[in-house]
Amino acid sequence: MYQILKKFLSTKWSKPPLCEKDLRIEFRARYHNFRLLLNSNKRVLEAIARIEQALRDKHPFGMPFVRTNCTTISVEVFRMIKNLEELAPGRYKGLHTKFDEIQHILNKLLSHKKPVRDEKFVFPLSSINRDKADLVGAKMANLGEIKSRLDVTVPDGFAISSAAYQKYIGHSNLQEEIDRRFQTVAGNHIAKLSQLSTEVQELIVQSEIPDDIVQAIMEACFRLGEGKEKEVRVALRSSALGEDTAGRTFAGQYHSELNVGPGNIIQAYKKIIASKYSLQAIAYRMNRGLRDDDFDMCVGCTVMIDAESGGVTYSRNPMDIQDNSIHISAVWGLPKPVVDGSVACDHFVLSRQKPMSVISQEIKSKESRFKCFPQEGQCGIELLKEKRNMPSIDQRQAVLLAKLAVMLENYYDSPQNIEWAISNDGTIYILQCRPMQQMEKAARTSTEKIARPKRENVMIQGGIAVSPGFASGTVFQLKGGSDMIKFPEGGILVTTQALPKWAPLLNRAAALVTEQGSVAGHLATVARELGVPALFSVSDVMNLLRNGDQITVDTDASIIYEGRVKAPLMDSMVKKDIIEESPVYNTLKETSLYVVPLNLLDPESLEFTPMNCRTLHDITRFIHEKSVLEMFNFGREHGSSERASKRLVHHAPMKWRVLNLDDGFREVVDGKYVKIDLIASIPMLALWDGIVAIPWEGPPPVDGKGFMSVMFQATTNRSLNFDQRSPYANQNYFMISKNFCNFTTKLGVHFSTVETVVGDLSDENYISFQFKGGGADYDRRIKRLAFLRDILEENGFSVDIKEDNLIARLENQEKDFMREKLNILGYLTIHTRQLDMIMSNSSKVYYYRSKIRKDIRDIVRSQRSESESIQ
Amino acid sequence: MKKKVLLIDDEKEFLEVLSERLEVRGFGVETAISGEEALRWIHKSEFDVVLLDVMIPGDNGIEILKEIKRLRPFIHVIMLTGHAKIDTAIWGMELGAYDYLIKPIEIESLVEKIKMAYDSKSAQQMRARQEETRPIHKKPDRNRFLTVIYNFFHGFRRDPRSKS
Repeated sequence: MYQILKKFLSTKWSKPPLCEKDLRIEFRARYHNFRLLLNSNKRVLEAIARIEQALRDKHPFGMPFVRTNCTTISVEVFRMIKNLEELAPGRYKGLHTKFDEIQHILNKLLSHKKPVRDEKFVFPLSSINRDKADLVGAKMANLGEIKSRLDVTVPDGFAISSAAYQKYIGHSNLQEEIDRRFQTVAGNHIAKLSQLSTEVQELIVQSEIPDDIVQAIMEACFRLGEGKEKEVRVALRSSALGEDTAGRTFAGQYHSELNVGPGNIIQAYKKIIASKYSLQAIAYRMNRGLRDDDFDMCVGCTVMIDAESGGVTYSRNPMDIQDNSIHISAVWGLPKPVVDGSVACDHFVLSRQKPMSVISQEIKSKESRFKCFPQEGQCGIELLKEKRNMPSIDQRQAVLLAKLAVMLENYYDSPQNIEWAISNDGTIYILQCRPMQQMEKAARTSTEKIARPKRENVMIQGGIAVSPGFASGTVFQLKGGSDMIKFPEGGILVTTQALPKWAPLLNRAAALVTEQGSVAGHLATVARELGVPALFSVSDVMNLLRNGDQITVDTDASIIYEGRVKAPLMDSMVKKDIIEESPVYNTLKETSLYVVPLNLLDPESLEFTPMNCRTLHDITRFIHEKSVLEMFNFGREHGSSERASKRLVHHAPMKWRVLNLDDGFREVVDGKYVKIDLIASIPMLALWDGIVAIPWEGPPPVDGKGFMSVMFQATTNRSLNFDQRSPYANQNYFMISKNFCNFTTKLGVHFSTVETVVGDLSDENYISFQFKGGGADYDRRIKRLAFLRDILEENGFSVDIKEDNLIARLENQEKDFMREKLNILGYLTIHTRQLDMIMSNSSKVYYYRSKIRKDIRDIVRSQRSESESIQ
Repeated sequence: MKKKVLLIDDEKEFLEVLSERLEVRGFGVETAISGEEALRWIHKSEFDVVLLDVMIPGDNGIEILKEIKRLRPFIHVIMLTGHAKIDTAIWGMELGAYDYLIKPIEIESLVEKIKMAYDSKSAQQMRARQEETRPIHKKPDRNRFLTVIYNFFHGFRRDPRSKS
C-alpha cells in the first residue's frame, strides 16, 4: 500500500496544480493536439476508403497510387501516435513497436526490386539462351536460344542487358525524377499522360550514359563488324523484361531502329530505352496493372539484313483457337509495313498436314517497299507496276516458312509469332520469335435486323444510349449499397442514379438501366469499357419495372421490350478481369492486409490494447478512442470548473454532459450547469434538435421471446450489468467547439458515437457515426444493424457493418445538408435503442420502420420550415 | 511578431504562387531553390515553418532536414515530395519533421497545412513558455496533498478548491 501510494504521489507531484491561466493554455494546447489527431484520423480513413474502392472497382491504377496512399496513411498514423503521446505521455506504450513492425512489412512489399545476378552490360547473342531471360529480356533470350539450338539462321548480334539499363536509369537519379513526374500527374487522363510521355522520353534521351556502358556497346559493335569489308549496320529492338510473354506481348509498344551505324548506335539505344515511356506503353501497363519497375528495358542489336522480302508468320490462326493452319503475311523489302500495317500485304494460309501446301493466298497490290539506305536508315520506295502485283514470296518459300513455324512451335510447345526476312541470296533469317495468343472465335456479325417488334412488346421507350448493345435478362432493382452483394450474374441492373460505385457490378450485368445520369459519367464510361449495353435517363423506370421481370434492352432504339426478344447476332463480347490478377493490384491487395482490416472493434474488451493492433487501421482506431478518453479525463483530473464537463439543463429525461473544447459556448460559463441556449456548437445543436424532436415512446412492447432473450443475456453476459456504476454508464457526452462535436451515448448496453465537423467549408465537413451493442442475442442485434443500415443508406450515408459494429460516414456536403443529417442521427440514437427486442417479429419491424420513416420526414420538414422562417 | 516561412523548392513558378498566397495570409515568406541557400537563410534568420521539397536536385532532402533540425530544433518542417516512399517519409518524421506531403497537392491545401503547422508551433511555444514560469507553483503544499488524496478516494471529481 505504501509503495502504491508513494508511486501515486510521486507521479502526481510532478504535475503541480495549475492556475487558471496556465490551465487555459494547457487546455488549448491539448485541444490543438486533439484536433491534429482528428485531422490525421480523418485522412487515414479517407485513404483507407480510397484503397478499398480501388480494390473493389478494379479500375486501372498505377504504383504511384499504391505508394501515395500507403505513405499518407503511415505518416498520419505516425503523427497520431505522437499526438497521443502529447496528450498522455508514456501511457500507451507499445504503439511504436507495432507501428514499426507494420512499416517493416509494408516497406518490403513496396520495394520488391530483385538484384541483378549478372553485372555485364553486353551479352553476345551466341552466349544467350532462355535461362538468361531475366538479364536480356525474353525476346533476345528466345532468339539466342534458337540460334544455338535449332537449325535456323539468325543474324549475328548482341544484347544490352538489364544491368546496363539499371545503371543508366539510376545514374544521376534519372529514375527518381521519372517517378516524381509520374506521381505529380494525377489520374490517368490521356492528354496529361501524353504530355508526360513526351517529357519523360525527352528527359531520358537528354541524359548522359555512363562511359563504361558506352564502351561495352561500342566494343560489341566493333566485334560484329570484324573481318567484314563494309562497316557494320545493325537493327536495334526492345527486349524488355516481361515483354513477349504469353498474353502480354507488348507488340508495337516500343521503338525499333533499323540500319544503324556505329556512330549512331548510342543515340538509337537511348531512344529505345525512352520508348519504355511511350504513351501506348504507359497506357498498356496502366490498363493491365503492370508495375513500371518490373520492365527493365534490355535492347537487342542484330546485324541488319536488307531484305528482298519479309513478313510475319503466325504458326496458328490468331482469331480462331480451333484453326491450326499457318498464316503468313509478307511484303517486298523489309517486314516493317507488315508490323505497323502501313502497306497492304500478301496473305498466305498453309495447311499443317504433310505435305504442307498453300491452301489459300491473297495477293495485294503493294505500292512500295522498305529498303535500307546504303549509308544508314531506311526508306519506302515505290515499286514498279509489274512487281506490285507479284507475290512477295513464292510457294516454295511459303512452305519453308511454314515448316520453320512448326519447328519453332514444337520447340517452344506453344503457338509462335515469327518475324523474318529473306535476303538477296534466298536465306531466311529469323528476326524475332515470340509466343502468340489466340482469341475465341468471334461470332459472325450479322446484317439481319431484329424482328420488327410488335407494339405490345414495347414496355418503355426513351432514354439515352450511353453504351451500345442489345441484351436480355432479369430485372434487378438496386436501391442501396447493401443490395450490391445480391446482384445476380447476368441480371439487368436497374437503379435510380448512375453512381460510379455501381461499376463493380457491371462485370456481372447483362445491361444497365438508370433514371438519371449522362453519357459523360463514370458509370457510362465503365459500361463502354466493359461492353455492357447501357440506357440512362429512362424516367420512372424504377416504378415501371419490377424485380424479376424478364426484359430486353435495345440501346440503339432506346427501347425496353417485355420478355426475351431474339437478338440480332452480335460480336461476342469478351469481358475480362484484367486488373484483378495484375501485379499492381496484387501489390495493393497484399499491402492492404496490413493497412485496411479493422480488428479492434470493442473498446470495452480486454483485447483493446496496442499489442493487439494488427493493422494501421487498428492503431488509428485505438488512438482515436484513447484520445477522446484523455480529453475528458483532463477536465476531471485538473478539477477546473471551466475546463470540466458540465451538465446540460433541459427537459429531456436523461443526463447529458458537455465539455467545451474551445469556442463551443456563447460565453464563459461558470459552475456545474450549462443551458442549451448557451451552446454555440453548430453540430451539437443540430443533433440536439433531432434528440428532442419527437418524444421517445419508451421501450417497444416486448414479445415474450424478445424479453426472454434480453433476460437470458443479462444473466449470462456481465457486460450487461445495468447497475454498473461506471462514470459513463447511462451518460451522454458532448465534446464541442463551434464546428466540432463528438457525441457519445452510452445507455446501458447501447453505445454510439457521432463525430462531426460542420462549418461553412464543405470540404472539411464530415459525419461519422458508430453504433454498437444491444441487449438481445447476436442474431437480433445483427438484424437491428441491418434495419439501421437501411435507414441510414436511404438518407445518403455510406454504411459498413463489421460483426455487430456499424460505421456510417458522410462527407463534404454543405452546412444545411449536414445539419439535416445530424437531426436524423440525433433522432435515431434515441429511438432505435431497444429495437432488437422486436426484431424477430416482422409485423412490428414493419411498424417501426414506417414510424421511423415518417418521423424522419416530419423532422426534416419542421427543421426546414423553421430555418426558412428564420431567414 | 510576424509568422515566418521558408520555402525550399526548385520550381520557381510554384514558389512564386505559394509565396503570394502565404503573404496574403499574413506570413513573411523567404524562398530558396537549393539546400545551400536554404541553410544560409536558416543561419541568418528566424523561421516558424519550413517547407522542404525533399527531391531538390543536387541535394539530399533528408540531410537538409537534419541540418535544419540541428540548428533550429523548434522549426516545424513540412517535407514535400513528388515521389512517395514510406521509408523516407517515416525516417523524416522520426528526425522531427512535422508533416510529409505528397504532390500533386493544391496550393490552397498546402497553405492550409502551413497555417496548421504554424498554429501548432505557436501552441507548443506557449506551452514551453508556460513551463518556464511554472516553478512558482511547483512548491508542494498541504492543500495540494489533500486534493490528491481527496481525488483518489472520490474518483477524480472536481477539485473542491477551485472557484471560478
